[in-house]
Amino acid sequence: MKSPKEQSLHTRRQFLRTSVLGGALATSVPLFLEKTFLCLDTMAAASPGQITTGKDGTILVVLQLAGGNDGINTLVPYGDDAYYKARPRIALTKNDVLRISDYAGLHPKLTGLHSLYGDGNLGMIQGVGYPNPNRSHFRSTEIWQTASDSDRNESEGWLGRYFDNCCRGADPSTVGVAIAGVTPQAFSSPQPKGIAFSNPEQFRYMSEAANDPASADKFMREMNQPGGIEHGTQSENSGGSIGMLSGSADSDGSTVEFLQRIALGARMSSDRVLEITRKTKSSVNYPASQLGNSLNLVSRLIAGGLPTRVYYVSQGGFDTHANQIPTHDRLMTDLNAAIYSFVADLKAQGNFNRVLVISFSEFGRRVAENASGGTDHGAAAPLFILGGGVKPGLYGAYPSLTDLQDGDLKFNTDFRSVYATALEKWLGAPSEFVLGKKFPLLPFV
Amino acid sequence: MAAHLLNRAGFGGIPSQIDELVAMGPAKAVESILKADDDSDLFPPPSMLEPRIRSEFHHREKDAATEEEKKTVRKQLNDAERRSMLDLRSWWLNRMRYTSAPLREKATLFWHGHFATGNQKVNDPYLMWFQNETLRRLALGKFPEILKEMSRDPAMIRWLDLGQSRKDHPNENFAREVLELFSLGEGHYTEEDVREAARAFTGYRVDPETGAFLFREREFDPGLKSFFLKTGAFTGDEIIDLVVAQTQCARFIGRKLWMFFVSPDPSEETVSGVADLLVSNGYDIGATLGTIFKSADFYSPHIVHHQIKGPVQWMIQTTKMLGIPLPESPVLENSLSALGQVLFAPPNVKGWDGGKAWISASTLLYRYNLAAFLLSGRARVPGGGNHAMAAIPLGEISPPKDRLGPGELIDTLGFRIFNVPVPERDHSAFMRFLSGKGIPYDDRTVLDLMQLMMSTPDYQLC
Repeated sequence: MKSPKEQSLHTRRQFLRTSVLGGALATSVPLFLEKTFLCLDTMAAASPGQITTGKDGTILVVLQLAGGNDGINTLVPYGDDAYYKARPRIALTKNDVLRISDYAGLHPKLTGLHSLYGDGNLGMIQGVGYPNPNRSHFRSTEIWQTASDSDRNESEGWLGRYFDNCCRGADPSTVGVAIAGVTPQAFSSPQPKGIAFSNPEQFRYMSEAANDPASADKFMREMNQPGGIEHGTQSENSGGSIGMLSGSADSDGSTVEFLQRIALGARMSSDRVLEITRKTKSSVNYPASQLGNSLNLVSRLIAGGLPTRVYYVSQGGFDTHANQIPTHDRLMTDLNAAIYSFVADLKAQGNFNRVLVISFSEFGRRVAENASGGTDHGAAAPLFILGGGVKPGLYGAYPSLTDLQDGDLKFNTDFRSVYATALEKWLGAPSEFVLGKKFPLLPFV
Repeated sequence: MAAHLLNRAGFGGIPSQIDELVAMGPAKAVESILKADDDSDLFPPPSMLEPRIRSEFHHREKDAATEEEKKTVRKQLNDAERRSMLDLRSWWLNRMRYTSAPLREKATLFWHGHFATGNQKVNDPYLMWFQNETLRRLALGKFPEILKEMSRDPAMIRWLDLGQSRKDHPNENFAREVLELFSLGEGHYTEEDVREAARAFTGYRVDPETGAFLFREREFDPGLKSFFLKTGAFTGDEIIDLVVAQTQCARFIGRKLWMFFVSPDPSEETVSGVADLLVSNGYDIGATLGTIFKSADFYSPHIVHHQIKGPVQWMIQTTKMLGIPLPESPVLENSLSALGQVLFAPPNVKGWDGGKAWISASTLLYRYNLAAFLLSGRARVPGGGNHAMAAIPLGEISPPKDRLGPGELIDTLGFRIFNVPVPERDHSAFMRFLSGKGIPYDDRTVLDLMQLMMSTPDYQLC
C-alpha cells in the first residue's frame, strides 16, 4: 500500500499530466517541465511537510492595512488615563470599547472580530515593530515587505524568498496570489513567482480583441506552449572577438526557455483561476468594498482547490492625519465585515482550520492626537492573527503610553518573529533561510 | 544587425531607419548614434511646480487663518504635485519616443536605474526633473563627474538623507550607497570607510527657497580622514576621486553597463575587458559604449535578440514599431505600473533588477493584452475604457505588395516586429494561421497576425 505521501505525489503527477497540461500534451511533456516536476517530487519526498498540495495544505493570508493603521484606536487601552489625556478629541469612550481585558478592548465597530475572539479564533500581538523605526510610508512598507533591518536595503520580498527557498519545483505562478493590480514587493525575487490581479477577468488572454477571436485563442495557445525553439544553443561565436573583449560570448540560452515556461504557467494558471472563479460562488455576502471583493475571491480560490499557499490582500486609506474618527470608523466597519464574511465562508467550506490570516500595517500612529483631530505617523502597533488554528489571546505587553520614543510606542515584539512563526509553525518552512537569521517564535499557533 | 544596434543603443527603429544604418556600415552607424545632435529644443521642460511656486503654497498655508483653509491649501499643493509628476513622466516617455538622439535617453534611463532616486521620498517633481536633466547632460560623459554631480544633486541629497548630515553627527546613508550601490559593490569597502566618507560629505544642503544645492561650510567636517589607506582632510569630491581610482569601481560600472546594454550575465573576463575599456578611456561612457557597440561580441548570436525588454523599452519600441503615439496617460501610467517600471519611482535604492525579474505570469499576460489594446483598442486594459487608440498606419506597415502570399507577409511583418528572422517553429504556426484566408490579405487578417506575433515569448526579446 502506498503511504499518504506517495499517494499525494502520484495524484499530483496525474493532475499535472491530465488536467494541467491537458490531455493532448500528456504524452509529450517537454523535457524541462518534466525535470521541473521530477525535482518537485524528489523534494517533496525528501522534505516532509514542505510541499503540500492544495487540498490539504495550510494557507497563509497576509492582510495589509496600507497607510499606517492607528493601532491605539484599534486595540484601545481604555483602562489607561494616559490614553484619554493624550487624545482628548479622538479617544474612544470607555463604554463603547469591546472589552478584551481590563486594560484593552477592540474598536466599537469590530464586533465580528470581538465575537471571533470569544470563539477562540482571534489573537492580537501587541507592540509589534522593529528597532530604529522609520516613519516614511514608502520606506517602512519596504521594511515590512522585505523583512530587513531598518538600516539595510533589501530588494527581495520575504514571501518571494519563501517561494524561492521552499517552493522550488512547484508551479511558479500559483505559489502565491496577490489580489492587487501590482505585485506586492513582498513577492519579489530574482525570478518572480506568484500572480497578481485585481480582477480575474483581466488575468487572461483577451482573444476577443482580435477580429477572429477563436483563431486568435487557438494560435495564442499554440505559440505559448513550450517546444523546440532552439535559441542560443549554438556555441560558435560567428564574428570573432576583438582582443579586449575576448571570450565574452555570455551565453544565456535559457532566456527564451524561461519565457516559455512563464507563458505556459500564465496560461495554465489563468485557465485555472477563471474556471474556479466563474463556477465557484460564495455562500455568504461580503461587503461591496475592495477588501470584501478581495477576500471573496480568495475564499473562492481556496474552495476551488487552487494549490496556492500564500494569498495577499490589502485595504487602503489608513493615513488618518485629519478628522480621523469618521474615516477610521468606516475603515473598521469594512475590515470587520469583510473578515467576518470571510470566516463564515471558510467555515461553510470546511477550510477554516487551514487558514491563518495575519494583518500588518507599515506603522502605528503617534500616541498624542494632532491639532486636526487626526494622528501622525508613529511606530509600534498591534496586529491581528486569525484562523481556526490560532491560539487565541493577547500576546506581548501593551507598550507604555507614557514611556515613549519620540512620541511613539516602543515595540516589544519584532515583526519578523511573527513572520518566523508563520513560516515555521504554519507553513512548515525553515524561517532562518527566508529571514536571514533566527527570530524567537511566538506561541500563537 | 543594425536593428540590434538601434534596439540596444536606443528604443528600436522601423525598417527604413534600419536600412539607413545598414547603408552606413557598422563603424559609421555607431558614430552616427554617438554623435547625434542635441535636440533639447524640441522638448521644452514640462509644466513645473517650481520651488518659488511651492514656497508660495507653504507661505499661504502658514498664513491661513483656520485649519480648514490650511487643509485646502495643502490639497491644492498635493494636486499640483500629482499633476506635475504625471506631466514629467509623460514628458520623458515622449522624449524617448520621439528623440533623434536615442542613446542619450537610453543612457539617462540607465543612470536613473543606477542612482535610483524615487519621488516617493523626494516628494518634489521639480527636483526629480532637475536630476533627470543633469543625468541627461552627463549621461555619455565621464563617470567621476556624474558621481560628483549626483552628490550635489538636490533630489539625491533628499533621497539619501545627505541634508541631515551634520559635522558632529554625520548621516551615513549617502556615503554607504556611494560605495555599495554607485561605485564598488558590497564587500569592497569597510564600515570604517563608510564612516570616514560620511564625514567628508557633511555640509551638503538644499536651499529650501530655491531648491538649489548649497555647501554649508560650518557643517563640513574639515578634519583628517583615513580612506582606502590614505589620510587627508578629504572633501567629498576627493573621496570620489579615491573611489574611482579603485580597479573595482571600473569593474562595477563596467558590469552594470554590460548588463543593461548587452547581456545579464557577463563572464569575469568580459567584466575585466569592459573595466579596461573604461580606464583607458578615462571613464568616458560614450567612448566605452562606442567600442562595445563596434565589437563582434555585441553581435554574437547569444546576445542578439536575447535581452528581455523592460516595460519602458517595450512601450517605446512597440509604439515606434506600430507608428503610433504613446497611449494617453491613464493607460500609460497603469500599464507601466502593472508591468513594474514607474519612472521616478524605482522600487528601492537598488533600482530595477531588470532581466527575468520583469516577467511573471501576470506581467506577461498584461503585455499580450496591452499589445492587443495598442493594435485595436479592444482589449480591456486598466484605464483603457474611453481612450480610443490612434489607428495603426497599416498601409505603410504592410503595403499591398507584401500581402500577396503568406511567406511575404510573415517575413515582412516578422522582421518589423521581431527584428530577426522568424524562428522556424513560429513560422509554421503563422503559415497555418494564414491558410484559408483570402489573398491579398485584408486589414483584419494582417492585424490579427500582428497581434499573434506580439503575443509570444519572442516578442518580449530584443
